[in-house]
Amino acid sequence: MDLGLFVYALNLASIYALMAIGVSILWSSVGLLNMAHGATFAVSGYGAWLVTGFMKPIIIASFGKTALASFIMASTLVGSALISGAIFGAIIYLLAFLPIHDKPNYAVRGLIITLAINIASVQSLLYLFGPRNRGLPKIFGFGRWEVWGTKIRYDQAGTIIGAIIILSLTLAWLRYSRRGLEVRAMMQNAEGAAYSGISRKVTALPVLMLTGALAGMAAALLSQTIFVSPTSGSVPHIMGVTIALLGGLGSVPGAVIGAILIGFLEAFIGSVPFLGQRYVMFATFSFIIAVLVIRPRGISGLLDDTRE
Amino acid sequence: MPDVLKINKLSAGYGPLRVLHEVDLTVQSGERIGLVGLNGHGKTTLLRAITHMSGWQQGSIKFNDLEIGGSRSIGAGRRTPRLVRSGIAIAPQGDAIFPGLSVRKHLECGAYTKLAWREKNKRIDKVFDIFPPLRMLEHSLVGKLSGGERRMVSIGRMLMVEAKLYLIDEPSLGLAPKISHGVMEALWALPVNDAAMIIAEQNVNLLSGKVDRIVGMHAGRMRGEVGHVSLVSGD
Repeated sequence: MDLGLFVYALNLASIYALMAIGVSILWSSVGLLNMAHGATFAVSGYGAWLVTGFMKPIIIASFGKTALASFIMASTLVGSALISGAIFGAIIYLLAFLPIHDKPNYAVRGLIITLAINIASVQSLLYLFGPRNRGLPKIFGFGRWEVWGTKIRYDQAGTIIGAIIILSLTLAWLRYSRRGLEVRAMMQNAEGAAYSGISRKVTALPVLMLTGALAGMAAALLSQTIFVSPTSGSVPHIMGVTIALLGGLGSVPGAVIGAILIGFLEAFIGSVPFLGQRYVMFATFSFIIAVLVIRPRGISGLLDDTRE
Repeated sequence: MPDVLKINKLSAGYGPLRVLHEVDLTVQSGERIGLVGLNGHGKTTLLRAITHMSGWQQGSIKFNDLEIGGSRSIGAGRRTPRLVRSGIAIAPQGDAIFPGLSVRKHLECGAYTKLAWREKNKRIDKVFDIFPPLRMLEHSLVGKLSGGERRMVSIGRMLMVEAKLYLIDEPSLGLAPKISHGVMEALWALPVNDAAMIIAEQNVNLLSGKVDRIVGMHAGRMRGEVGHVSLVSGD
């Protein structure tokens, strides 16, 4: 395996990890299988497109074409994607969590409502912006580095580094902050959390906003490689949910390992001459199904040596 | 003595199953009450109904003269965090621990009030004084601990804040006699002051002479009440 393939695999893995961790945290703490995660992805892509389109002339007028200007452009893009993702997460909280969280069959109802939100928002995006792909400003610039004879594109390197930074921040928040402690408690034992005075109703809002922001980050990073379109969220969403399942729903390390495995599998299958890109989906899903048949708890079942 | 808890005609159950049949119980402040009865006769359901964790319930529960009962057919656990924050501490059956959190993080979870969070280190130290074995295990995951250590963690989490009412569900369940004696000794050593404590327990011997009253439960109804019991002479 050459280095180019390795970087491509890590690039895929970082996008998948951002999506899968969002799905995984949300499912295990709030109990909501968020089918609108793909819509969050698309909405934050469009949010970033609108904001950067609005800000671009202003930034160019005030800073010209300096390094500072491109840095401000990059932070505007990432910030607007994060914020629109978080806002969309809050909307999901208001529509799909708050009205039904104490009703029977909450998990199934939540699934149906978020699926409805997904369809409605993808259709609204189609209605508002049309089916045309939109290109976001390239915040990492065009070009490539030469490392040991292989070329690494800036956007790939930027995606990997950006994803690692955001994931480390998320994990640090979960590990060291008080709210993060509450979220982890809820992920591990909902009843014990309730007995510790941790309210699911209160904690669900930051969790939904956080997972929305993670989807927004994935959208911002993927927009550097491909275009934003109303349906651009569907493939990342499907991969996110299946990788979260592969990692064992509720396990953050499991989701990261699952994303890396799937990223490398995709890159590898795509590079084998007699298989090629058309077998990528087939191979990844066969792999996930095989793992889940052998280890129903996914990868986290292997990592976990604690008992309930 | 003011009543900490006054239960009137409380029925509760899960789905079509009715476990409690119009239970009445009054607990005064400063009291330790032993709730005894066989498996499946409603001890745990009574404690769960007080914290709104049962499937459904109806009847009056007055906690410090505040009505927290009422009729409810769905939404188990919805009011539990608020009730816990209002001063009902519970060490549930099966411990309800967080397997992936360390003992210290676990106890921090119990310090949910502002005051308790601010002085959490002092309080964790106090819990370690009550249960010395936990001091050595401060940074190990609770999911890897033994049953007795888990019970200590669960009770320790309950003790991180001052509550008005302590509910302890089967502190000796599944423990070796020696360990369960240690846990019970720790419970007796706790100052109750103006709070109250209800201990659900199957083993009457463990309670005898230590609690102010023993209340019997049979088939979801209160059966008999004894004051100041010492069932085993010379023990």
